[in-house]
Amino acid sequence: MLEQPWHVRATRYGLVAVACLWSLVPILLVILASLKEPKAIFEFPPSLIFTPTVDNYVRLWTAWPGFFADLRNSLIVTTGATLLTVLVSSAAGYVYARYSSTLLTLSAFFMVVVRMLPPIIITLPLFPVVNWLRLNDTHILLILLYATFFVSLSTWIMRAFIKQIPFELEEAAIIDGATLTQRLLRVVLPVAAQGIAAAAIFVLIFSWNEYIFALIFTTRNAKTAPVIIGEMLGTAEGVEWGVLFAAASIQLLPILIFVILVQRLLIAGLTAGSMKG
Amino acid sequence: MGRIGLAHYAMVAPVQVLLLAFIFVPSLYVAWLSLHHSSYGQIPTFVGFANYAAITADPVFWRAFWNTFLVVNLVVYGELVLGLGLAVLMNGPVPGKRLIIAILIAPYAITEVTTVVMWRYMLTPDVGVINYALDSIGLGQITWWQSRFQALGVAAVLAIWQHLPFTFLILYASLMTVPTELREAARVDGATAWDEFRRILLPLVMPALLVALLFRYITAMRLFSEIWLLTGGGPARLTEVLAVYLYRQAFSYHDFGVASATGWMMLLLSLAIALPYLWHVYRQMFRHA
Repeated sequence: MLEQPWHVRATRYGLVAVACLWSLVPILLVILASLKEPKAIFEFPPSLIFTPTVDNYVRLWTAWPGFFADLRNSLIVTTGATLLTVLVSSAAGYVYARYSSTLLTLSAFFMVVVRMLPPIIITLPLFPVVNWLRLNDTHILLILLYATFFVSLSTWIMRAFIKQIPFELEEAAIIDGATLTQRLLRVVLPVAAQGIAAAAIFVLIFSWNEYIFALIFTTRNAKTAPVIIGEMLGTAEGVEWGVLFAAASIQLLPILIFVILVQRLLIAGLTAGSMKG
Repeated sequence: MGRIGLAHYAMVAPVQVLLLAFIFVPSLYVAWLSLHHSSYGQIPTFVGFANYAAITADPVFWRAFWNTFLVVNLVVYGELVLGLGLAVLMNGPVPGKRLIIAILIAPYAITEVTTVVMWRYMLTPDVGVINYALDSIGLGQITWWQSRFQALGVAAVLAIWQHLPFTFLILYASLMTVPTELREAARVDGATAWDEFRRILLPLVMPALLVALLFRYITAMRLFSEIWLLTGGGPARLTEVLAVYLYRQAFSYHDFGVASATGWMMLLLSLAIALPYLWHVYRQMFRHA
């Protein structure tokens, strides 16, 4: 790389700094405001140094006890959807990586096509069916829906990662008399661990944050955190900003830390999942 | 590798069953439902294309259509320009690159609901940071709660803030594959930075750029929460987008036929946009078959 003149470099760093502020300031404002007294929340300019208070969090605990139950629902649904997606996508991804037939190719193309359809439309026919099956307001329904919308991306990611594993590794196991299941569990999947992680990340983030399906299909028992945060924002008697920020901060911090930790896998997964046919 | 057998198809089956049961069959059912009059506790009655006729005669639908058109284009091209610019900036040597990328992709981790919370806080009438600052330097406020185009503009900014990480990452990943030698050779031949961008970087990232463009077109069309939680489609349904129009028809007015017709139109629109990509994928997949 050739050396850039100092003013070019200064402009570049300046622009990158602006981009960082644009990303970070809204998030920081919310987290900081969740630690402020109600009357300090709308101070201008927003103070960066203040005596933090946990009043908003205490008030969230007493006034919105449902929030913590909903957070638990989010955790259950996210775990379930991620496990289900990884399980079925690993199995399918292996076959797509190792075998070929016209039927397989057709089904692979079908997977790409259904990714183009707008998810909201399936709520229309599912709504009555779900009521009839008494699946309304259950964890299992959200788990199935979230997994469905990510199995094709995850299968594609698994396929890309498994393709890179030399078949010779499996041949050695075949000679030792290993069955298909044993080969998968002992040879392929341990080597494809990175792929599994990449395939899991996207559905995990999506399930933790999803809003529309949860809004339509849950009312109480399976209601997730984003839905109740939406309700707090929509209360008629005026928004209680401090409490709302406390809830939003609790919901966003774990997933934010997670995304920062897995950023490399995120890039790898995006490249494997959306570039190749 | 052996021949493909029943066991292998069985391994593919769960994925395909999920897609068939929860996306494909429901989509077909929506097509059927769109030709019927349907509400709670009623047996659907066949009405032909009456629902489509009703929609195309409804000015609220057309307003939702044009609102969607406006926001989607603002979002997609805004993200493309910003994402590409950011990818080029980050492609050179930058101190603390890992940390900076972590900061840049942070919005990807935030739920749409909290995104709306953040921006509504900053844009609160009179006292939110942005509106207060704009007002005090004499520019007036952003009145998203009463002005149609300001509300749509805010929704677009929200969507860009939320999804820029996706566009940026795709373009950044593809820029990283451009060999440094190629760029250095161009420099030695006396190419300016602009020449280098236009003649070397841009053609090489074009495939990734087109994929990002198409995916964002299709996903941006689904825009719902940003409008729903910002304005609820109001005032007086002025700021509805297609997904909000569908939601209202179905879950406020219980008119499932009209909602289905809206949904099926969204589906066809998505497929039409995706057609060049799908054709490309199809040809690639069946080249060897």
